[in-house]
Amino acid sequence: MRALHALVARLRATFTAGRVDREFDEELLAHFEMLVDDLRRAGYSNDDARREAARKLGRLDPLREDHRNQRGYPALDLVVQSLRHALRRLAKTPGFAIVVALTLALGIGANTALFSLVDNLLLRSLPVRDPDQLVRLQVFLLEESGRNTKPHAPDFGRAVFASVRAEHRIVEDVVGYQTTDRAAIAIDGVVQRERAVDVVSPNFFTALGVRPVAGRWPDTSDVNVAAISERWWRSQFGGAAGVLGRTITIDGKNYAIVGVAAARFHGFDLDRSVDAWIAPASGPLMMVARLQSGVTPKQAELALHRLLIEEVDARERTLPMATEALPVGSGLSGLRDQYRGALLALMGLVTLVLLATCANVGNLVMLRNTARRRELALRAALGASRSRLIGISLGETALLGVAGCIGGLLLARIGVAAIVAMLPLPAPPDALTFHADVRVLGFAAGTCMLGALLFGVAPALRATDVNFTGWLQSSHGLTAPARTRQIGRFFVGAQVALSVLLLVGAGLFVQTLRNLSRLHVGFSTEQTFQLLIDSRFAGYDDKDVPALSQTLLARLNEVPGVRAASRTRNRLMMGTTGMSMGIRLPGISEPIDNWDGLEVGPQFFETMGLTLLRGRLFVTADFVSSVDPRRSAEAARAYDRGFAGPLIVNESFVKRYFPGTDPLAAGPRIVGVVKDAKLLSVKDDVRPLMFLASPRPPFFGAVQVRAVGDAQAIEKAIRRAVSAVHPQLLSDMSTLGEVSARSIAKERMVATISGFFSVLGLVLAAIGIFGIASSAVGQRTKELGIRRALGAGRWVLVREALRESFVVFGFGLSAGALAAFIAVRWTSSFVGDLLYGLTATDAINFLTAIGAMVVVAVAACTIPAVRATRVDPLLSIRQD
Amino acid sequence: MTDTKLDILQGTLDLMVLRTLTALGSMHGYGIARRIEELSDNNLILNQGTIYISLVRLEQQGWIKSKWGISENNRRARFYTITKSGTAQLETERANWERMAMVVGRVLAAGAN
Repeated sequence: MRALHALVARLRATFTAGRVDREFDEELLAHFEMLVDDLRRAGYSNDDARREAARKLGRLDPLREDHRNQRGYPALDLVVQSLRHALRRLAKTPGFAIVVALTLALGIGANTALFSLVDNLLLRSLPVRDPDQLVRLQVFLLEESGRNTKPHAPDFGRAVFASVRAEHRIVEDVVGYQTTDRAAIAIDGVVQRERAVDVVSPNFFTALGVRPVAGRWPDTSDVNVAAISERWWRSQFGGAAGVLGRTITIDGKNYAIVGVAAARFHGFDLDRSVDAWIAPASGPLMMVARLQSGVTPKQAELALHRLLIEEVDARERTLPMATEALPVGSGLSGLRDQYRGALLALMGLVTLVLLATCANVGNLVMLRNTARRRELALRAALGASRSRLIGISLGETALLGVAGCIGGLLLARIGVAAIVAMLPLPAPPDALTFHADVRVLGFAAGTCMLGALLFGVAPALRATDVNFTGWLQSSHGLTAPARTRQIGRFFVGAQVALSVLLLVGAGLFVQTLRNLSRLHVGFSTEQTFQLLIDSRFAGYDDKDVPALSQTLLARLNEVPGVRAASRTRNRLMMGTTGMSMGIRLPGISEPIDNWDGLEVGPQFFETMGLTLLRGRLFVTADFVSSVDPRRSAEAARAYDRGFAGPLIVNESFVKRYFPGTDPLAAGPRIVGVVKDAKLLSVKDDVRPLMFLASPRPPFFGAVQVRAVGDAQAIEKAIRRAVSAVHPQLLSDMSTLGEVSARSIAKERMVATISGFFSVLGLVLAAIGIFGIASSAVGQRTKELGIRRALGAGRWVLVREALRESFVVFGFGLSAGALAAFIAVRWTSSFVGDLLYGLTATDAINFLTAIGAMVVVAVAACTIPAVRATRVDPLLSIRQD
Repeated sequence: MTDTKLDILQGTLDLMVLRTLTALGSMHGYGIARRIEELSDNNLILNQGTIYISLVRLEQQGWIKSKWGISENNRRARFYTITKSGTAQLETERANWERMAMVVGRVLAAGAN
């Protein structure tokens, strides 16, 4: 307590040092005068009184020194003084300060932004108690080709939960959750879009160890209650306690809000931030178990397998099945799987950017210190200690570093938002939001310190380690000593090298994006729209969907300009449908198990403009279900989805399964062959694809419309036509061009970011080269003038003046090229997934990067070169 | 003359300042210095300036507090008063001092034999 009291007092005194010192002097003066008064009253003469008073008071300078040491902390005093001094100096050269702070901010910001994403998506654990103990339990059907990707039993009923929970040796507790698909949510009658809701078991939060920040958790006696996320609570209710007890309507049912979950808890799925949890659940739930400590997922799989397959239909229990206990402590994320490579590649890239910015700042600080050597020498001659001189130099660096760090955090925030905006996500999940938390701030500060070490310390030591009197006496006060120039050259060379690396990396990604966007997909993209229809949101029951789809397509066909409209079960351009169920087709001995399937409605091929190669397209009769659903519900379902009717296949299918034979001759199932088109994914090669004529869609997927004429007018007309059926029906509408652009969002993001930073790196390198070239010319003006006077040609002078810069550039370029050569080889397997149409070791890309660097370097040298040729012999010699 | 006077032991000045302030109530640095000198009967070497270092130290500990005011002969001066925790500290220090004096006295007396 006392120590704290003293600490506060000392710190306060340090920052108000001027005032405190003045008051101290005032006190001493008052003391002195009172003493003199008393002495005169005791009979001293005026002069004697003053002398005696001075003696009694003691020597003032040591006293002041003691006071300074007592009132504050001497070391801190030095720091504060250095910083104040540095601030004044920087204020005198705002241009330098701004350029340096901005470059640093960019470097730190880029790294912090990427770190925030990497941390959120790849490194962080869920905000629950002991996340490592959590596993999701599912049963998979084993196939000959290995494990199926779709779980055979993803969720379980009450009985299985009870029996798993009873396995005390293995599990501590079990929680259940189920996503509600596209729930319609309203609060006080106001519809809430883009909010995800899970149904959970009553023990969900307590077993996970998530605390409520307000209210309480649902318990077993509750009927229809809800908990909401802290994010929603803050944004929608302003964090007010009044939220408790309010009613939230989900799919027409009312739930009372009883609690708010701790910040940043959004369920297990990182991509789909859940904002509300409702309980109790009625149907089957996904199962997450908290294992007893020391129990491995493998042991849990073995121990729980028998209990879990209870859920599987008795007829299927003979099939080979496996239980999977998947650790979910760091959350489940499709984005993570998809973006891991991209994020790590970008992280590597922005690390290079940081190094380049540090080298740039280092070079600028170095040049500045060189220009200030006379001043430093003067200070040293007047008795400033070396530590004080280093303090001044480091003080500036520290201030710039702090400014860069703060700017970097701001830029990181903007950067994360910009990156997330490039991704095709309707509502950015919390996992992709920038949170300036301890980890992110720590990272930024660490990066900043690393940067300061790289660019600040060497110049500070160099600038002060000099023979000052020598300089003061010399008339060449402005020529930097060799060692100082060496460090500057090193910084510039490093910049060039890093720039080459950045260019090579960015070139790969930019070229990939170009290759992808120029790709011919095989159907018309610009005049064809894809509409996403949300029938549940509009209040339709799934059994109304066939009728609804007929009405809708009829209305769309009436819109002026519309040539054709059709529907599919899955959206196009959403990646492979990945069907691997074995299907037997006449004419093929093996069941086919590696194919894509697209369940389409009438007019699909006409709408998409796909070319028929052989046979026929689907006709109206193909979409009439011939199976009576009353007789066999299962057969009717298969027929409704198109699995039992006629098929049309693509070229790749024929190549793969009917090499050299005629698929149409094999039997009545396959009725036609169409040309390959990239309907499912721009990037992936076309796989064998079967089109299934689906008479009655089980739920609404997507609708495609092809039109001619003014795109905007048609879009409006289409929107009107859909709203006329039901105003809440349309959830998204885009051209297939836009959809395919979205499907290469990852490549676009990587190309944009890396392109941006490679240009930045190039600009920084240009500044660096310009800096050393012009300072070389400046330093040698006199020599050049003499040579000129002696008759040397202009080009000889240019060559002489810029030789040093060229050597530095040459070294940087070679080092960069070598590093890039090694880097692409090292990372080619890892980066390969991110590339399209070229490989990491692409020679043209490599040469382009080097060419670009050379062009920029030559451009940066132009002005100094011209200056060298214009040296006036007389002026330069008279310079001193 | 100076070698007959006592140097001030480390820490004892703080003790004397605290004691003086309990006696005088609110007082400025000069008043404290004068009072200590009077009581010491000229047995002390006191660089009066060092009083102020002691005052800074005591104030940092929260044992005294200060306020600017006007002295008896109309000068602006800083007045110090002892705080509650300062009074308590004085008692502790006084007890310590007396024990120390007793111990030193005994040791010296034993050494004389």
